[in-house]
Amino acid sequence: MMKHEVYITPNEVKVDEKVLSHNENGSALLTELYRTHVGDYPKFFKMDTLSKLGFVASELLLQAEGAPRFEPREDRAVIFFNRSASLQADTAYQATIQDPDNFFPSPAAFVYTLPNIVTGEIAIRNKYFGETSFIVLEDCDKNIMARELQNAFQDPMTKSILGGWLDCTDENHFAAKLYLIYKS
Amino acid sequence: MDDLIYTLKQQIIEALNLEDMKPEDIDENASLFGEGLGLDSIDALELIVLMEKNYGIRLKDPSQGKEIFKSVAVMADFISKNRTK
Repeated sequence: MMKHEVYITPNEVKVDEKVLSHNENGSALLTELYRTHVGDYPKFFKMDTLSKLGFVASELLLQAEGAPRFEPREDRAVIFFNRSASLQADTAYQATIQDPDNFFPSPAAFVYTLPNIVTGEIAIRNKYFGETSFIVLEDCDKNIMARELQNAFQDPMTKSILGGWLDCTDENHFAAKLYLIYKS
Repeated sequence: MDDLIYTLKQQIIEALNLEDMKPEDIDENASLFGEGLGLDSIDALELIVLMEKNYGIRLKDPSQGKEIFKSVAVMADFISKNRTK
């Protein structure tokens, strides 16, 4: 049973089908959403675009849910899907090692060169100790996604899932369609 | 030394993505980690890269960072004595 849904693209934001007004587009939109709706987590500025997208989308979703937050819990899983893995972070890191005469590998860029880092960012922020997964698919295949989410509920500990599609290829091309679903 | 401290603050803000922070906001004598700027272990690694990239200083032993990164003032003092560029 799905209760809340957030949709973010470089120029559109919807929470439970309601359009959120904004001034910025692209990655600047994510920063605007952070400043307007979150504002208490400076680590946001260190994240790659995929993590920023997942972070602000999850914040809007959890604010829509309105339940008490930041209490340790094991009954909520975080499960995302995408097509581009951590491509934007991979590219950013590659840029730091591309030139042999300017070879300075960036640790801060390197730590985001895995897509599942964003699931950890959200779990840490919210004190979730349940399952976290990031599954890379060829396309946004709703059947596979539904099957994986159903499978996650096989774990008797899991009562709800913060999950959905979270894809980013660069600062101007990304999409998040996240939802909160609850075990029937 | 004051110029180096100011430049170093700018470089730290840029390298560590300390959004909304200006050089004037950083107390050069305050601790960089823990209570001060609240930097983490990845930031420490970025500071090591910053010193090598901008000042040609390569730390032989990363654990040296514990002393060198006590504050911006301590870091600037170390840089002024060891820089190769």
